[in-house]
Amino acid sequence: MKKALKILAKIAAIGGAVYAALFAVFYFDLDGKAIFKFVEPTLVKHYDNMPRRDPLTRPYGEEPTNE
Amino acid sequence: MKKPDWNKLKEKLKKTDPKKLARDFLYGKPHGERRLGDLYEPKTGLYKHREWRGVKDTFYYFNNIWLYNYGMMVADIMKYGGLVTFAKGVWRYRWVGQSYLPVMHWFDRGLEGVRGEALRASAWHYRAMVNQTIEQFMRMFCADQNIGGSKALYDQTIAHDETVWGGVFYPYRDQLDDIPLQMIPYFVTCHVNNHTVLNYIDATQSLGLPGDPCPMCQAECGLMILDDEPDFYPAFITTNEACDGSVATSVIQDWMINKPLYAMPQPMQFDDPLVQEHCAKEIEGAFRFIEEQMGVEFHWSELVKHVEEQNELQRFEWEKWDVAANTSYYPITGTAQALYRIYQSQRGNRKIWHDTDKRVRKILEKCVEQKIDTFPLTRHRVIAWSCAPLYYSHWCTWAYNCWGLNCIINMDSLMFDMTIRTDTYDNMLLDFARYHEWAPMRRMAVGGLKHIFELWENMEKFHCDMVMMYDQLQCKGMQGVHGLFEDEFRARDIHAIWMPHALPDKRTVSREEIRRIINDYMFTVMQEEPLDPSLLEFDDSKSW
Repeated sequence: MKKALKILAKIAAIGGAVYAALFAVFYFDLDGKAIFKFVEPTLVKHYDNMPRRDPLTRPYGEEPTNE
Repeated sequence: MKKPDWNKLKEKLKKTDPKKLARDFLYGKPHGERRLGDLYEPKTGLYKHREWRGVKDTFYYFNNIWLYNYGMMVADIMKYGGLVTFAKGVWRYRWVGQSYLPVMHWFDRGLEGVRGEALRASAWHYRAMVNQTIEQFMRMFCADQNIGGSKALYDQTIAHDETVWGGVFYPYRDQLDDIPLQMIPYFVTCHVNNHTVLNYIDATQSLGLPGDPCPMCQAECGLMILDDEPDFYPAFITTNEACDGSVATSVIQDWMINKPLYAMPQPMQFDDPLVQEHCAKEIEGAFRFIEEQMGVEFHWSELVKHVEEQNELQRFEWEKWDVAANTSYYPITGTAQALYRIYQSQRGNRKIWHDTDKRVRKILEKCVEQKIDTFPLTRHRVIAWSCAPLYYSHWCTWAYNCWGLNCIINMDSLMFDMTIRTDTYDNMLLDFARYHEWAPMRRMAVGGLKHIFELWENMEKFHCDMVMMYDQLQCKGMQGVHGLFEDEFRARDIHAIWMPHALPDKRTVSREEIRRIINDYMFTVMQEEPLDPSLLEFDDSKSW
């Protein structure tokens, strides 16, 4: 019984800590800051440097490809 | 690190009223003391910290909006195709990776300062739109031949211009799915993250195409030029949307896509009964095209089922309008009202709209029964007319927080003001034609003077005392009637603020400039003082 209670208390403590951490992320807009300062610039760099097909050089009437 | 000034801190503590502090903590600061503008970091619009709305509303926002929606987004992605397909799409397409990751900031901007039942009802609208966005882009990716999607799904997906109403595909919904070409890669991105669309506008202009047509058409065209459109469909249906600029877009799309295309125009002078018959024939032509290209059959029972369900959505919309028009208990922000309505009526019948309406109905009924004044510091009831700036759809939230301008209703919400008959095939077809003719940017914006001037009767109906007149600088149709509106506003003694913008392009008229124009009008013409002076001027030029 005691062991079960201890495990429950541990789960509650971990759950509480995770909840508090998530609240901190929410309250201080850490998700927004991370996306704005790191994720978006990284992705933009990737998209800017991506090789792309140029549909303008395809002769009129020729089927587009997926390569 | 800067040392804290203990003397200043002591002084501040001495002046602090602990009772007020406790009250503000429990219930949030009252409107007028919030200083929401102080929460922003300069330029980016990021929050130093998110708003404290009192214990109940802050934790509602955290649990039922922020956590819930992040969780539901993952659940939706899993449900509609899985994380691997999503990751492939994010890696391949700029518009999804750059635009949709900061989606919770879209919620934040639209729900700033909102409390109680209005917070709850408006957030449900956002949740529905997010669900539909995910469903659509996941379907695109699952069938996308560019990233190795399923050929079977590709053969069961038809594409169409975003202003072709999803209802055209109701007879075939049990055999295929329809996905608009531009709604997710273009339209919704502008609201969530307005940086992305600029790439597509610039791509079009870089070819030497003129920069003065509607930037919406330019952006849609740019998606093709930059090869950023998934290949998820064997055929597509296009329309002239609202103007000639968009016809040109269709020509370029046709060239670049090079797949079977059916053009289904939306007539401008739709009051003519002959036009009505012609439009009905065009829709029948679309039915035949779908059947020939997709190998599907016309199922009347499927059509009736979806139309009846859509009529149910329309009837609830009318109930909402009734509460909005005649009471102060309407719990939906101007932004949520406008975006949800246009999204729902354009996309057609989907389960999520019914789930959302059920939830919103409960909140709406509670507000009416308990006479909850949802926007208590309303000074003016505003109707917004013409086409809105996509990069600043949340101006309504700002205008209420700063000036007490409560945007009750807008033009785009009022377009599809009808149910559809299912008693006979002919009646259904005529109603389909009417619905198609009343498309976005069509019925009131370029549908003839009588319809453009439906503003006056709606102003009366919704008991509005002010007009926010959108002025899309690159829309030749609406620019042509500018003077007529000016004359009418003067003759009718109506307070109207012209809000210039360039639809998706924030570089032409910035959000800061839009706010300045409203501020000037409120100070000089209305002789009023702001409710929250911290919102008068701030730089959000780099914000999403």
